Amino acid sequence: MRRPQKTCAICESGVRVVDYKDERTLSRFLTERGKILPSRLSGTCARHQRQLSTAIKRARQLALLPYIKGFVG
Amino acid sequence: MTRQYEVVYIFDSALEETAINERLARFHALIQQDGIEPPQVSQWGKRTLAYPIKKHDTGYYVVAKFEADATALPEFERAIKLDEGILRFLVVVNEGAQPVPVTAGKSDVEDDE
Repeated sequence: MRRPQKTCAICESGVRVVDYKDERTLSRFLTERGKILPSRLSGTCARHQRQLSTAIKRARQLALLPYIKGFVG
Repeated sequence: MTRQYEVVYIFDSALEETAINERLARFHALIQQDGIEPPQVSQWGKRTLAYPIKKHDTGYYVVAKFEADATALPEFERAIKLDEGILRFLVVVNEGAQPVPVTAGKSDVEDDE
């Protein structure tokens, strides 16, 4: 039996472009260690998954999001 | 030809507000041209960094949207890079549809059927 298709949370919210400055929303698409959640698990569509990955990488550069959560250097 | 850009600065949070404004004015003078609107600056203020940068745990964030000629950018970025009071910065092209904050509530909605 196939599982029903998950719907893209970003499409549903009516957003066209993902903002890299909105780290609250981006953090919903991260694992607890801070990795990017695969669209297989989050259900995001291909377009938004691509936008998310660049947005998350930009947010990491700006220290809005950690590269690794819970890492103490 | 001019394009729309967006820059995020992370200043050393130990700097005074006047010092930050003075730097912003200096950087923005480099991209200023006749007939182009001045940059829209929004100050986020002091925030905790997700990880330390140059041994600082907090930074003063400033976001500016501006229109500029691409030829003016290398000079602009060089000036920022040389400034000791800036921990990090990011310049991106800001064109096409404007981003709106995602406000999706629940990710797993129960309306599968």
